[in-house]
Amino acid sequence: MAAHVNEVVLPGDILQELSDSEQYPKLRLGPGLRIDVDNVVVCKCGILRFREPSVFWVDTHQKRYVPVKGENILGIVISKAGDVFKVDIGSSEMATLSYLAFEGATKRNRPNVQIGDLIYGKLLVANKDMEPEIVCIDSTGRSSGLGVISGGFMFKCSLGLVRKIVSPDCQLMKLLGKHMPYETAVGLNGRIWIKAKTLSHTIAISNAVCCAEYMSKKQTEVMVKQIVSSQWT
Amino acid sequence: MAADFKTAQPVEYYRQFLKKDVRPDGRELGEIRSTIVNIGSISTAEGSALVKLGNTTVICGIKAELCTPTNDEPKKGFVVPNVDLPPLCSPRFRPGPPSEQAQVVSQFIADVLKDSKMVNHEDLCIAEGKIVWVLYCDMMCLDYDGNVIDACIISLLAALRNVALPSIEVDEETAKPKLTSSTSSTMTVQSLPVSTSFAIFDNSILIADPTNEEENLATGVVTVVTNECGELCALHKPGGSSLSESQIQECVKRSFSRGDEIRKLLDETFNSLDR
Amino acid sequence: MTSQRADCGNLELRSQSCEQNLLSRPDGSATYCQGDTSVIVAVYGPAEVKQSKEFLDKATLEVIFKPKVGIPGCSEKFQERLIRNTCETIVLTALHPRSSINIIIQVMHNAGSLLSCCVNSTCMALLDAGLPMSCLVAAVTCSLSCDGDIILDPTSQQEKEAKAILTFVFESRDNEIITSNTHGIYSIKQYYSCVEACRKYGFVSCQSPLGTTNTVEQ
Repeated sequence: MAAHVNEVVLPGDILQELSDSEQYPKLRLGPGLRIDVDNVVVCKCGILRFREPSVFWVDTHQKRYVPVKGENILGIVISKAGDVFKVDIGSSEMATLSYLAFEGATKRNRPNVQIGDLIYGKLLVANKDMEPEIVCIDSTGRSSGLGVISGGFMFKCSLGLVRKIVSPDCQLMKLLGKHMPYETAVGLNGRIWIKAKTLSHTIAISNAVCCAEYMSKKQTEVMVKQIVSSQWT
Repeated sequence: MAADFKTAQPVEYYRQFLKKDVRPDGRELGEIRSTIVNIGSISTAEGSALVKLGNTTVICGIKAELCTPTNDEPKKGFVVPNVDLPPLCSPRFRPGPPSEQAQVVSQFIADVLKDSKMVNHEDLCIAEGKIVWVLYCDMMCLDYDGNVIDACIISLLAALRNVALPSIEVDEETAKPKLTSSTSSTMTVQSLPVSTSFAIFDNSILIADPTNEEENLATGVVTVVTNECGELCALHKPGGSSLSESQIQECVKRSFSRGDEIRKLLDETFNSLDR
Repeated sequence: MTSQRADCGNLELRSQSCEQNLLSRPDGSATYCQGDTSVIVAVYGPAEVKQSKEFLDKATLEVIFKPKVGIPGCSEKFQERLIRNTCETIVLTALHPRSSINIIIQVMHNAGSLLSCCVNSTCMALLDAGLPMSCLVAAVTCSLSCDGDIILDPTSQQEKEAKAILTFVFESRDNEIITSNTHGIYSIKQYYSCVEACRKYGFVSCQSPLGTTNTVEQ
């Protein structure tokens, strides 16, 4: 494993080992790393991560979302313009959503989407030179959980927290679910939607999520216990 | 053909020239455009000068007015420089309030004026605590073809040396200012700062006195202001690509020689007037 | 993160402290203190951009400089431009075309070396916002007293008595000068000795953010 992994790196740091093409013939660089001439250079501050066989990226603290292709996001419909909806996903530009990109939608059978609706979608087009485009179907035409979301409660948080929650090692959502059944949709653009049986459960869960940003595994377990006990009394 | 190439790939176009140590307008890298100074161009102003640096043209007019000094410094007069970049000089400026560029150049010139101690503010005193001169130095750019800072500073310097103030006394009975004689006295300019600007091209090549085109393509600019005693008054580099010590040394050296050239040019111009 | 000025000597910096992510709404924020001088900076971006200011190949970077009292004038514009040009050099604006990056600098207290404090603070806020940068910057101000002594990170009293005040911004890669702003008269020899004195601390400052980010990330 290369040096500096799981250590803090700063913009401008040159990762000499990674720049050596023989050691990592199929090097893949994730966010926060870029190639400048022949060197791998860090361009964001954060912790360097590594995954077998040769994937590197930098885990950063960030609040503003920059669209990435294939990510699931939560957006709010801002306007209808002809064949497309404009959806605010928190990035620098509005995303477009075609009215045909819903399960079972045809030219005749338009989906029922109103301005202000919450949409759970997947980014189909996301690059720096083009408007982002989202869809609510997968490649087979099924919705697979995507689409308009009704009821519940949506809140915003940092991008790091969202990534932490969806990572497989994070037990928070499962632990909470054992005690309070709820539905959730996590958008990688820093938005989380939660719908529980009662309002107080929804508030408790959203508070727990917000607090968990810098907590260790043990701390989250303690917190969940505390929340659960306070809910029953 | 060459024009198409220039439009499509301006940077590459310049690179081809700079490789051979020459610029598209025929100058060498360190060569400065021909400088023309005309003094006393505005007859109604107390002092004025017109400076041409290649195509860049700046006219500076100085109006003197009377005012009361501040309580903190009752002996000191004021010098208020202002740079105007009207839409007349370039399509990049819009009518309306001063552009950011104009404000930045004004501030830079105000700093140079203060730092270099060009004018002894106490020379502008008529009656201590009562009346002092205020010199409004308005620099108007007539044609913007890059390096407006250098042109402005030369024009300001020439115009200040050209200033002739009428002699005034305070009437003791009425406490009002009155003209004592019709002759006017010239003002002494204490220090003669001259600025030289450089553009950094492709993060490494230094070119002196950039034109508008060169400024737009440059990755950074440096302005060095030197005075006649071999001292620096400002070394201003607002961001842009980094410079090594030797490159800074080169800039400073060039600007010292440029300073001497300009001061000689101004002396010659003033001498020709006296004759 | 705090570093103490051990003996308060002339060739030492005043104690510095920095806190990141202290504002909830902006995408990045930081406050930086050098002695009693303190500045707070908020960064928004990449955000939506006005069509009139849009660039097709890069992000539009805007700096707004708010003085402690009064309305911003010419000298604030001058500072804005200086900081904007410095940021444009380090932020990889080409990665976010057709968007805007807004930097708002609010002076909290000026007790000397304001410009360097602003630049340092801005750099920390940009880091917090997670904007892609080619390297970091560190700014150091020094003043030359009448008998030619160099005082690093001068207080406002020391600035008033000084013959010249010089501010340099160094980048973290090769530690070269990217911004230089000076006031007053000095010789070329003095200029170089100031650069050397500041460079030493520029390097230290570039390293020090490590401590801060650690606490934020964990």
